[in-house]
Parts: sequence; C-alpha cells; structure tokens
Amino acid sequence: MRTNAHLWFVGPALILMVLILLLPIGIAGGLSLTDYALGNPGANFVGLENYSDIFTRSTYERMFGATFRYVLVVVPLTVGLGLGAALLITSVTRFGDLYKTIYFLPVMAALIAMAIVWEFALHPTVGLINNTLESLCGTWAEALVRHGCAEGFPHWLGDRDYAIWTICFIGIWQGFGFNMVLYLAGLTSIPRELYHAAEMDGARSGWERFRLVTWPMLGPTTVFVVTISVIRSFQVFDTVEALTDGGPSRSTYVMMYAIYEKAVQQNLMGIGAAITIVFLLFVMVLTLIQRWLVERRTHYV
Amino acid sequence: MLSYSFKSPAEIEGGLSTGFFGAQEPMVDERCAIRSAPDRADLEAAAPRFPGATEREIANALTAEAEEACTLRPVVFNYTTAFTEAPLLRYLLNGVIVTVSIFIIQVIVALPCAYALAKLRFWGREAVFGIVLFCLLIPVHAIALPLYIMLSQLGLTNTYAALVIPWTISVFGIFLMRQFFMTVPDDLIDAARMDGMSEYSIVWNVMLPTAIPALLAFGIFSVVAHWNDYFWPRIVITGDRSLFTPPLGIREFRSDLDGSFFGPMMATATVIVVPLIAAFLLAQRRFIEGITLTGMK
Repeated sequence: MRTNAHLWFVGPALILMVLILLLPIGIAGGLSLTDYALGNPGANFVGLENYSDIFTRSTYERMFGATFRYVLVVVPLTVGLGLGAALLITSVTRFGDLYKTIYFLPVMAALIAMAIVWEFALHPTVGLINNTLESLCGTWAEALVRHGCAEGFPHWLGDRDYAIWTICFIGIWQGFGFNMVLYLAGLTSIPRELYHAAEMDGARSGWERFRLVTWPMLGPTTVFVVTISVIRSFQVFDTVEALTDGGPSRSTYVMMYAIYEKAVQQNLMGIGAAITIVFLLFVMVLTLIQRWLVERRTHYV
Repeated sequence: MLSYSFKSPAEIEGGLSTGFFGAQEPMVDERCAIRSAPDRADLEAAAPRFPGATEREIANALTAEAEEACTLRPVVFNYTTAFTEAPLLRYLLNGVIVTVSIFIIQVIVALPCAYALAKLRFWGREAVFGIVLFCLLIPVHAIALPLYIMLSQLGLTNTYAALVIPWTISVFGIFLMRQFFMTVPDDLIDAARMDGMSEYSIVWNVMLPTAIPALLAFGIFSVVAHWNDYFWPRIVITGDRSLFTPPLGIREFRSDLDGSFFGPMMATATVIVVPLIAAFLLAQRRFIEGITLTGMK
C-alpha cells in the first residue's frame, strides 16, 4: 500500500498538468501553422504564414507598439513607485499602516470595477478630470493648462495620442501597491546591523545608506519585482477591453486583446495561436533571465 | 466610486459639488414614473375616489401620486436599481461558487502531490518536480486560447465547468506547499506511520493541519485572483447572463444602460468590490503576508 500511495498522490496532479498546461501549448503550436476556425471540419496547413503576418502587417506593428509602450512605461513606474512607497512607509513612524492600506487597496479591487470609475472620471464632458482642468481656466493656474483652455481638453480615452498613456496611468495606479508589498517584505529582511556598520564606516546621509546598503540588499527582490511586473504588464487586458476595445486607431491594441479579438471574436484561431506562441516565448525568455540573474546573485548576497 | 453611488443622476451629470454623500435630496425615478403613469383603466378605476372631478384633473392627481410613489433618496435609488436591473445577487453567488470550488479542488489536487514530492521517495520524483518547475513558467493567459478550443469541442463553454476546469491544477500551489512541507520534520511523519496511519490519513490528518498557514496564504492568492478575474470568464461565458461572475456583471450593467445611469453602475461596482475589500480591511496583515509569501516564490 505504501509503495503505491505516491501514484495516487502525484497521478491526478500530473494528468491535469499535462492536459491543462502542456497539451494546450502543443495545440497552440500546431494551430499556429494552420488556418483553423471553430466550426470548420478541417484546417489547411499554411506553414509560417501566420507568423510572417505578425511580423509584417501594420496591424501587428501597432500591436507590438502598444504592448511595448505599455510595458516600458508601466514597469519602471510601478517598480519605482512601489519602492518609493515601501521606503516611505518604513521611514514614517505614524500612519504607516494607513498608507500601506491606501496603496494596497487598488490591488485588491477588481480592475474592471476600477476601470469604469476611471472611465467616468476621464469622461470628456461630465468627468471629474476635465471639469477640474476647466475650472483652472481664468485663474492664476491657467498658465499650466493654457493650451487646453484655448483648444479644449483631451478626450483621454478617445484620442489616439492619449489613449495608451491613459491606460498606462490606470495600470500604474492599480499595480504599484503590489510591488510595494514585495519591497516591504524585502526591506524587513535586511539586517539592522548592516546599517550600523555603514554608519560606522561614514555613511551618514540617508541617501548614502540607501545606495550602500538598501539598494544592493534589495537586488534579488528587484529582479523578482521587475520580472513579475513585466509579465503582468504583458498580460494587460481588462482595461483595454472595457475602455477602448483596442482603439482608437489600434493605439491600445495590446497583445492579450489581439489574441481575444482575433481568436474569440473573429474566430481566426490560427493567427490567435501564433500571437499566443510569440507571447509565450516573450514571457518564458523573461522568466529564464530572471532565474539566471537570481541564481547568479545568490553566490554573493 | 462609493461617493458616486450615493448621488443622484442630476448631481453626477451636472458635476455639482455636493460633498461625499451628495445632497440626498429626494428625486423622482424617471423609469418608475413612466412605468406607473396612469392609463385609461387606472383613470376609470380611480373615478369614484374623485367625485365630480374632470378626467384631466383625475389624470393629474394620479400622475402626482405615481411620482410621489417613485420619489426616493438617491442612495436608495442607486442601490435598488443595481439589484433589480441586473441579477446582481446571482452574479455574487456565481462568484462565490466559482472561487470556492476552484480553491477546494486546487487543494485536493495539490496537497497530496506536494506531500509526495516533499516526503516520499519514488522513481520519477525528480522528473515530476521538473515538470512542476517548467509549468510555473507558463502564463495562464497564454494557454487560454487552446483551452477555449478544447472546452468548446467538449461543448462545455457557458457552463460552470468552463469557469473552473482550467484552474483545477495550480502548479504554483504544489510548489508553495512542497516548500512548506520540506520544513516539516520527518519525525512527525514517521511517528504517524508508527501509529499505523495510512499515507492517506497522514496527508489529510497530519499534513493538512500543519499546512494551515501556507494554505491560508495560497487561499488568499487564489480567491483574490479568481474573484477579480475578467479575462477568462469573458472568453468562455458568451451569452448566458445567469453564469456571469461579478466582474462580468459590471460590464453587462455598463453596456445595458445609457449615460445617466452612472449612479446604479457605481453602486454595482461597489457591491462587487466590497466583499474582498472588507475581508482585506478585517485581516490586512494576513492578506499582505499571504501576497508576500505567495509572491516570493
């Protein structure tokens, strides 16, 4: 009985791993070479046509543009703000828990619920933001917003020059609390003695202590936080689907939305699967780089 | 969000600054007033109540009565509309069913596997653990499309099964639990074996209780992720409103109504966000520990 127990323990998990995680990758890889559509009896083999579409057509150029723009803006800012908030909370003696709660609340709330609130706040006519900006016109603060007073304020989500940045802003607002919590955990694991030692060695200012002790000790945390932020940013979907549907002019056409639109809405499974594979490669490469960085660092941290 | 859910349509659209709770001045619910506007049968039925009045006077009186019946405080209006215009309770129930069943199945599958990987020696153990580590690299978003195809071939889209099946295996849960079990002393398990316990009862009666802290952390992670998930339900639930999970409920409410229904929409959003926020405020430390523990894999 004991000799067989492990089969019953590992078996179900192993079967599910193969069926739900590994097999789908194979299916996606296979489908990406065809023009399969749900409901059609068969599919034609099209070779690498789907992939060559992805890397040549302007639609997908926009897709990569929007995705990379989002990742390149959201990752540094969520990591930076997360670290800043964590340092702020550990350095203040009063209301630390209150700040922690305030910063972390958006992480707990459903992004979709928050998205509609932002949509309303950003509404061009009744929204809080444009109303506030308009109320500045004619006052001393007009200098800051003069352009808007003369020509009207942006339609944030409806303007192709602003939409992706607006989506980025919501992503940053929602996400940095998560990084803050990871950094807080990293900060508490730094031994106090290191700070005393640094002070003995003449690191008097707060900045010096941060540069010499805190930042190097947070190295592994930072590697992890950056990777997880990149992966989360690559997967942005909720705000785009709810607020812009990839528009205007595909300026917010991020990868995850592209997969959804092509495969689920338009039933073009082949091209959807090809985007899936490209996405999977991005994420795997990033995770492997992270693993490598962490393993390399563990020797001297 | 909370503030808007207290205000009347006029206050929201006019951008009137009426504080956090709004003025709470009684307002007429236009839809209700239109619905209960008197028709010919009402006029005839009401005639005995107004002796000697002309038809026009009776109509005016009845309209006034209907308006009075439809007058209510903005906060009441917003929340009652939220619950009556959309099956909000149903959405919340669906959310509970889906998140709870996902978590229970994940534990039933992952816990024995984690125990075997941590404490049993058997042929192929390293290989299985290797597969677990590889699966950790796979983002669920990336396999959504093939899973969707598989489920639709099985005719399972628009069912609870479609919402639950892809999440039954949590490699992350296996990994987390295995790391936790590695720290449990072997003596404990040996003692249990000496007492004649089978491997099954060791898993459920010895390991499960010791793993409560890890399970709690994993539970928080799992419930937060699946209660708030929008991507997967949006893909597999395409028509049937009665299967919507809370995040889909907000979306549905949003596209159903015109711009003047921001109040009820914000009330819906509040109702859907409140359970997790309340749980978080009550057990903040646990939540933050949970996210940290599960985050730092």
